[in-house]
Amino acid sequence: MTAGTVFDIGYQRYTGPREGRGRGRLAVFKDGLRTALGLGRGGRAKVLPWFFIVVLAAIALIMALIAGAAERFAGPGAAEQLNLPSHADYYAIASMIVFVFAAVVAPELLCRDRREGVINLYLVRPLTGSDYIVARWGAFLTVMLAATWLPQIILLIGLAMGDASPVGYLRDHWLDVPRFLAAGLAMAAYITSLAMLTASFTTRRAYASVFLVGLFVISTPFTLGLASEIGGAAGRWLSMFNLTNIPVHVNDLIFGQVSEITEDAPARELPGAVRLGWYFAWTIIPGGVLWFRYRRLTP
Amino acid sequence: MAPGDSLLTAEHLAKHYGDVVALNDVSFSIFEGITGILGENGAGKSTAIKIFLGLIPATSGSATVLGQSVSESVGVRARLGYMPEHDCLPGHVSAAEFLTHMAEVSGLPPSTARTRAADTLRHTGLFEERYRAIGGYSTGMKQRVKLGQALVHDPAMVFLDEPTAGLDPIGREEMLALVRKTYREFGISVLLSSHLMADVERTCDRIIVLQGGRLVQSGTVRHFTKETETVFIEVDDNRERLVAALERRGIAVAADGSGLTIEGPDESVYDQVRDALVEAQAPLRRMAPRRRTLTELFQGDRHGAAT
Repeated sequence: MTAGTVFDIGYQRYTGPREGRGRGRLAVFKDGLRTALGLGRGGRAKVLPWFFIVVLAAIALIMALIAGAAERFAGPGAAEQLNLPSHADYYAIASMIVFVFAAVVAPELLCRDRREGVINLYLVRPLTGSDYIVARWGAFLTVMLAATWLPQIILLIGLAMGDASPVGYLRDHWLDVPRFLAAGLAMAAYITSLAMLTASFTTRRAYASVFLVGLFVISTPFTLGLASEIGGAAGRWLSMFNLTNIPVHVNDLIFGQVSEITEDAPARELPGAVRLGWYFAWTIIPGGVLWFRYRRLTP
Repeated sequence: MAPGDSLLTAEHLAKHYGDVVALNDVSFSIFEGITGILGENGAGKSTAIKIFLGLIPATSGSATVLGQSVSESVGVRARLGYMPEHDCLPGHVSAAEFLTHMAEVSGLPPSTARTRAADTLRHTGLFEERYRAIGGYSTGMKQRVKLGQALVHDPAMVFLDEPTAGLDPIGREEMLALVRKTYREFGISVLLSSHLMADVERTCDRIIVLQGGRLVQSGTVRHFTKETETVFIEVDDNRERLVAALERRGIAVAADGSGLTIEGPDESVYDQVRDALVEAQAPLRRMAPRRRTLTELFQGDRHGAAT
């Protein structure tokens, strides 16, 4: 048996590198990812985010399985002939789940820091309010990109594997890849800005989540019914306030086809540039307001 | 920075919030060591600290920290630590994880941040509890985590805002010992903001006193207390004859309970006291030098100012 001795070498001054704001931003970004996904936390913190991610992936998997079954039982090309939902339809189908996911997870990244006062410790380090909010926004955007792109990748793999010629399928449908990446980015950026802005107004996560779910759920039937009732140009513009549809219009423009949920929306009749401009307004303005609110924050 | 240079300098510093004057033409320098910034609520302590941390701009005047103007760069905050008075800790993470994260936010590479977090928790007495969630800690342990996060990136100077707030007497003693250790063993200079004179007196080398946004006093603690050094004398009998004998020698004497006090004596007073005791035939029970506390000193000043 060997005997060991523990020496107390006292306090050691740090003389190594100090990586400044860049390292600080990266640390806040990484912490945002861990918080959003519950990584390194207890089981309870993981339940909600991973439930939504699994549900979103499961929708894509079911879509791929149905298309694969149609190809197998009804013959090659049957999925396209039957007009089964594909990449262009996925975001329209899953949009409400993506919104609820954002409503539940986004407040976790901002509300807790302000409620517990941790924000005061960030702001006295070599980090500004802008650095903090940009890092947090980036972290949630990354999570939302994963939540929107992962199911599309599963769907792509599923559709390719279900096809009689997987390589032939990928050759014929390769354009879907940049399209769903762009549409996913559009949806993720929009939801991230809106959800983070809402979360910046309260220290209570539950209030932010309920408000966001209410905003997305209520704006759909309210604007749809009223827009159809009013009709004309006013109805079309009113229909633009359907917050769930805003990124789906961009999805429609990217894929060049109308989704099931925007089919009945009067806003569909407005020019593509208007719908695109509307989308950017609803993404950039909330993001700008969010940045402005944190830019001036002091402990 | 060269040794002996001031760590913080305020020159004609003023901060106005509309009509409210938080700081009014304040100038001082802070050097290595433990400096106390004393003042009642609203005296301008927190405003001064926020200006030094570059969190709010001064209305006029200048503030430099570690030789840099605070308004020019946030980078200087990598060499500063701050322990706020109020709650600022996440309840759901462990102290080890939290300090590692805070070290990274201050610019330390991840592997170094982990090592320093463990070392800092050892020095602040939380090593055994480092993997427990902070939410389950006692108030004293939370104060130690707050101090730890301010030290984890090895700052040149640390600002401690009311570090003993909410602590019981034992916790308070331990925290003050940690504050002393922060400079004397770790070599990190401290600016201790407090409204508790006893804490400042027992911990600090120098003090700055703010009142209503103005600088009232500044200097070494020893200087303040030495100025009011006293000798306490207690005799068994002939107290009045002793007072008369001392007064005949030109020594001002004040009654202090059962004894007498002589204020501001020099070395020669002891010979004169001896002679007065002999002359008055007063049997000496006790004679001891004593310093007034800062509390007595500033209470005296306030009463003096009020009258």
